[in-house]
Amino acid sequence: MELPDPDEVSRRDYLRSLVAVGGTAALSACLDLTGDGGGDEGGSGAPTGDPAERPARQHAWNDALGTDEDGNPRPPEHHVVLALNLATTPDADVRKTVETAFRSLERAYAYDPAGLLFTVGYSPAYFEQVGADQPVPDPEAITTLESPEFDGFDAVVHLASDEAAVVLEAEEALLGEVDEPNGVAMEATLEGVFERAEPRRTGFVGPGLPAQHTGLDGVPDSVPEEAPFFMGFRSGFAESQAPEDRVTIRDGPYAGGTTMHVESLTLQLQTWFEQDSHTQRVSKIYSPEHGEEGLAGDVGEKLGTSTGVAGEIAERTERDARERGMVGHAQKAARARDDDGTPPLLRRDFNTVDNEVPGVHFLSLQRSIDEFVRVRTTMAGEDLAGEGVGQRLNNGILQYIFVRRRGNFLLPPREDRALPEA
Amino acid sequence: MTRHSPGRRTDRLSRRAFLAAGAATTGALAGCIGGDDEDGNGNGGNETNGDEGDGEPSSPDVVNSSNAPTTPSVEDPPDAVYLPTHRESMEHLETVEAGEYAVMPMLTYPHKFWLVSGTEREAVTPDSTGVHLMATVWDAETGEVLPVDTGAQLRLTRDGGLVDQRAPWPMISQTMGFHFGDNVPLPEQGTYTVEFDLTPLGGDTVRKTGEFADRFTEPRTVRFEFEFDQEFQESVVNGVEYLDEDRWGEPGALDPMAGMGGMDDNGGDSGGMDDGGEGDGNGSEGGMEMSMPFSDLQPADAYPGEGLGTPTSGDAAFVVRYLTETRLTDGSSGYLLVSPRTPYNRVPLADMALSVEGALEGELVQTLDSELGHHYGIAGDLASGEQLELVVESPPQVARHRGYETAFIEMPSMGVEVP
Ligand code: HEM
Repeated sequence: MELPDPDEVSRRDYLRSLVAVGGTAALSACLDLTGDGGGDEGGSGAPTGDPAERPARQHAWNDALGTDEDGNPRPPEHHVVLALNLATTPDADVRKTVETAFRSLERAYAYDPAGLLFTVGYSPAYFEQVGADQPVPDPEAITTLESPEFDGFDAVVHLASDEAAVVLEAEEALLGEVDEPNGVAMEATLEGVFERAEPRRTGFVGPGLPAQHTGLDGVPDSVPEEAPFFMGFRSGFAESQAPEDRVTIRDGPYAGGTTMHVESLTLQLQTWFEQDSHTQRVSKIYSPEHGEEGLAGDVGEKLGTSTGVAGEIAERTERDARERGMVGHAQKAARARDDDGTPPLLRRDFNTVDNEVPGVHFLSLQRSIDEFVRVRTTMAGEDLAGEGVGQRLNNGILQYIFVRRRGNFLLPPREDRALPEA
Repeated sequence: MTRHSPGRRTDRLSRRAFLAAGAATTGALAGCIGGDDEDGNGNGGNETNGDEGDGEPSSPDVVNSSNAPTTPSVEDPPDAVYLPTHRESMEHLETVEAGEYAVMPMLTYPHKFWLVSGTEREAVTPDSTGVHLMATVWDAETGEVLPVDTGAQLRLTRDGGLVDQRAPWPMISQTMGFHFGDNVPLPEQGTYTVEFDLTPLGGDTVRKTGEFADRFTEPRTVRFEFEFDQEFQESVVNGVEYLDEDRWGEPGALDPMAGMGGMDDNGGDSGGMDDGGEGDGNGSEGGMEMSMPFSDLQPADAYPGEGLGTPTSGDAAFVVRYLTETRLTDGSSGYLLVSPRTPYNRVPLADMALSVEGALEGELVQTLDSELGHHYGIAGDLASGEQLELVVESPPQVARHRGYETAFIEMPSMGVEVP
């Protein structure tokens, strides 16, 4: 991919394209731009940090995240999911190098969305290589509608920040391409231990960001200005997210860790925005009741911290299929909540234009991959098909989403994040 | 690909050029052209050109932004199946087979159709250059069209790059029966490749019985190419054939496309419906010998068991039979078979929610049987004189081509009695 022309796109759009392109050239373009805007401590100008401030759980981000006007956690704007393959045999020294590299990053950036939030995970292929029992299964197709590719690389680093320059710089620093990210020296890097693998996933989330991609084929002008996600609606309400405790592994060698599933999807936005009406979209994303009663507003702004689908609306899913010929995505998925109403998944998904098509990297944390599979199966609603809705048609948002790729990972607790052994 | 390669046959049923037809009738049309349908609302941002119709008819301008001709539409159509103003022309590509499936792709200009969610209807009006891409899927072994939403999807590529990915809508049309289709915007002229994924049929979507019980379990992908060029655009527009103006909006349906098998005779026997078929020129004039099956069901009297009548609702005919000796149950009870279909052409009405009350109560299950075709059924015993109420909980959730959009939406319950 080539670097975008800064004169042709808005500043924010330009920053996002740089994240998508990646590499040191994109990084310096990014620093040039952010350098004259903000702080001038050199580098990306982000706050620096202290490893001692970071919590024991890698996935504990909520305390650091800001909130939106309703009090929902606000995800970081920019994301890179870096794929890595082992280039050496792990031993104590190598482990130490890896841990030192991560600690250097933690010194370079604060535990804050203005700094850097990140997690390190390992795939089934990694555990096989090091001769340990696989704590997560190989990824598989989950629904009958998909024939995805599968991640086969060894390790993954999810980098997230409100600053485009930070995710780019942190990525390059880990790989040994930048010596002093944010002006702080890397005491070690992953060079020689890991090498970059495919695919490199990137993305963004936040009000107004998707609408800035309307120059791309496949992103219609009708994406609402204020929408935080491509499909035009708010997601990630506090009430429908698992608390971090709920996704934390309780026992065994990885107690304190979690599992991560990444499902990469392509979106069909032209049909969604230009063939369906707003009421249909609201009905399909939340529930038919939300559509009929106008509960959501333009982009879900009326919903506060909860869609309200849990309970009665979720219980009515099958009846809505039969009697209204339509069910909502959130309504369907909420059927998979725990008996006490707690959602089992912590969704940290983000928008993407990787490969220059609009999509979503649906990144989800849960105590075990089984739980993801169970919720995903419920969301696919194959039990509803033929009961007034089709396999895709009017069955939530399935008509518009296409699974491209899946990967399963274990995120160990922070103290074991460097090449875990057992 | 050249114009006359076998993969490139254009269905030119009519020798009447669109232009001539348009010019001849322009004056007379004026009074018949309504504004847009009452449900053409909220269709984000398509107030631009390319609105297929419903405006003044004009000579087709195939280089405009949507290459859709301006055709007149019927003002205030009846809440029933009706004859539209014209018959579309389309290009048939070659049949492609994969595993147990055969697929015929077809292309025409982007045109108006209607989506159905519950009892809501949403008009889709083309707003950019491209094609209306369609595919009929059938069982390669028996030639039986597979008329349910299987969640098919397609990827459109050009020079290896992804141009579009979508799940085409399950649709019904008078001339093509059940098929998948959508308006697909194409950025520019050129050769496009389509990968069309067929997903396994069954699961909870449809119960498969008879020879179909263990079939259609593997996902398959078929590939085909097409040329999107000026010549194609002109030929599909020029092939449009108008009906006589005094028939526009009349109850009735266009005949299935020429060359579609299975239409022994048209109308008349779909449960006592009177023949409202198109009648004139049943499409054989073009001499096309395409072998594509049409998704028509058997007439009422061809089914086994006892007839409980053929009530109608929302202009659909419901063939109701009670079978005592049948492999469709475990043998311990009888079977109520209900086969809803369009009038005239007997196209199956898939993906509806149907239940029964009275002497037998419960939800009917959508079923695809290798001999009896698409229907909804429930096991149970019935005795002479018993009363049943057939309840349409939601109408067929399939998109509609013109002439089917006003029917099969409001569908009141029907009473039947066991004779
Ligand atoms: C393009 C893809 C997707 C979009 C645009 C999307 C959008 C949404 C929206 C708008 C909500 C409601 C807001 C909220 O509760 O926070 C929601 C809820 C939810 N979605 Fe998705 N989603 C997508 C994919 C998925 C996938 C792949 C899963 C997999 C399991 C999933 C699972 C859920 C769950 C579990 C909920 C919460 C339901 C509850 O209230 O318990 N979503 N999604």
